Amino acid sequence: MEPLIGMGVLALMGVAATIAGASEDLESDVGSQSNPNSQVQLAPQMMFPHRIYNKAVSGEPPSNALMSAIGATCAVVFMDVFSLSPLFALVLGAFIAACIHGTFAITSVMGRSASQQRFKQPVYMDIIRSHTPVIMGYAFITTFCILVISYLLNVVLGHPFPLPLLAFIWGITVGAIGSSTGDVHYGAEREFQQFEFGAGLNASNSGNIVRKAESGLRNGYDNSWFCAKFGGPVTGIAFGMTVFLGNWITTVFDPVRGLGWLSVVAGALIVLILIIWNRKIEVTARKAFGPYKEDKVEEEATA
Amino acid sequence: MSAGGAGEEATSSYSPQTMMGIGIIGGLVGIYLGALLSPTHPVLSFLGGIGAICAIVWGADAVRRVASYGLGTGVPSIGMIALGMGIVASLFGLSIGGSFAGPIVAFISAATIGAIIGLLANKVIGMGIPIMEQAMVEIAGAGSLVIIGLCTVITGTFEYSAVIENVVAPGYIAMIFIFGGMGILHPFNANLGPDEKQDRTLSVAIEKGALALVVAGIASAINEGLEAAFVTALIGVIIWYLAFKKYFEFVKRDAHKVVGTGMLPTEEELQ
Repeated sequence: MEPLIGMGVLALMGVAATIAGASEDLESDVGSQSNPNSQVQLAPQMMFPHRIYNKAVSGEPPSNALMSAIGATCAVVFMDVFSLSPLFALVLGAFIAACIHGTFAITSVMGRSASQQRFKQPVYMDIIRSHTPVIMGYAFITTFCILVISYLLNVVLGHPFPLPLLAFIWGITVGAIGSSTGDVHYGAEREFQQFEFGAGLNASNSGNIVRKAESGLRNGYDNSWFCAKFGGPVTGIAFGMTVFLGNWITTVFDPVRGLGWLSVVAGALIVLILIIWNRKIEVTARKAFGPYKEDKVEEEATA
Repeated sequence: MSAGGAGEEATSSYSPQTMMGIGIIGGLVGIYLGALLSPTHPVLSFLGGIGAICAIVWGADAVRRVASYGLGTGVPSIGMIALGMGIVASLFGLSIGGSFAGPIVAFISAATIGAIIGLLANKVIGMGIPIMEQAMVEIAGAGSLVIIGLCTVITGTFEYSAVIENVVAPGYIAMIFIFGGMGILHPFNANLGPDEKQDRTLSVAIEKGALALVVAGIASAINEGLEAAFVTALIGVIIWYLAFKKYFEFVKRDAHKVVGTGMLPTEEELQ
């Protein structure tokens, strides 16, 4: 393939990955899936019943792998049996996957609430009715973008793995990145924003999540609104970079042209640069913001 | 009490032996009937999926029993290990078991791998869960039956060469792996909590198994034809609807209350 076309396809994959990463994180935040879920689950047991969607489907990697694998399987069938155009088949596959993901979301929120009967956690039907379509919407965007990445990789870049297997692997990857990158923003900063920033989670505060919003009681919408400001986009950038840089090295240093080892060296160099860069960001942030300090002006005013 | 279960033996209205019977007999009968009757009419390959649903219900019950010892976040991991053991055992069993004994050899191999992993978990890692060995045998066995059952739906047979050509090579095995795993792990994970009930958890297992049957039915269109795919998917949707309806009844029975909307319970109510 022409290197320029290869780079164009790669750019398209990077864009799809960035969107997939952002929507994956917001999808998990609307339903409080993954790491922050443990505190949503714990809250009623500590006498803090809430109106937050408790979407304990599984960890993010398996649930995204499931959506992507279902979408890819259906898309392959639609392309082979009904000779649908790839775009239409991918959309239909992603739609079926999103519907099935919706059923997983509903069974988990209902089941988890019902299993906390002794702590008097009600099942709020309006939360289920209003949040599930949003979860399915985000799931559709994520699955569609993952299918686009896998299809381009398989058909245009000639990857030897079949479409469902590629989608499965990228589904696990986007879930893992969403879980490690985006969850921090929701869990530590949103659920416990009534405590000092950077204070960590004291054991006595376990389950004491924020349950009241700017207006009314807090729910998953409020959380996705907050996470859309930073957590979602940063997850998108992380996943976009993973897809783009991961494939960039073999597109530029093509193993077919005997440059396989150079691609390994380039990959190792990128990892090294990212480690040093991350360390520098962390040290600078600690120096600049440090531990929480009380505002002196405020202190004097109250004195 | 931990968030991840009662930390003790789960209370059950259906005994482990009953569930084992449903899983093994239902699973194997479904798989064999599906494979034997499929040549007479491709539509009948859905019977393999019924076997897979039986195995998913059994696997979900085994996860429920072992995870009640406070596994918590380990629930998804145990579902993944079930299908991990199952997939190795299935392909091994089908490859050496021939055209008749394949599923049985696969099942025995899975049970053996499960026993070894259970022993390693308890004796070497020292997890100290009393029923770990038995549960791992059950989970691995259920995992292998789920895989072979769904393969039978897609190909109409469990012959090794056909499975490799029509399920593994096109990548459908990835969907079977993750859907089988989620079918086994999700029911208990979704109902986790101190007031979890066995019948409610198992109704979710049937519901998720039915959805796996729907997707396997869609995937069977390539080998089994459109008629078989449509009938299998339709049967899956009907089972899904009935199971979901039952699940919602269980939720209404078990929940503190099911309300259209409302404020949080007051301090007095919580006392």
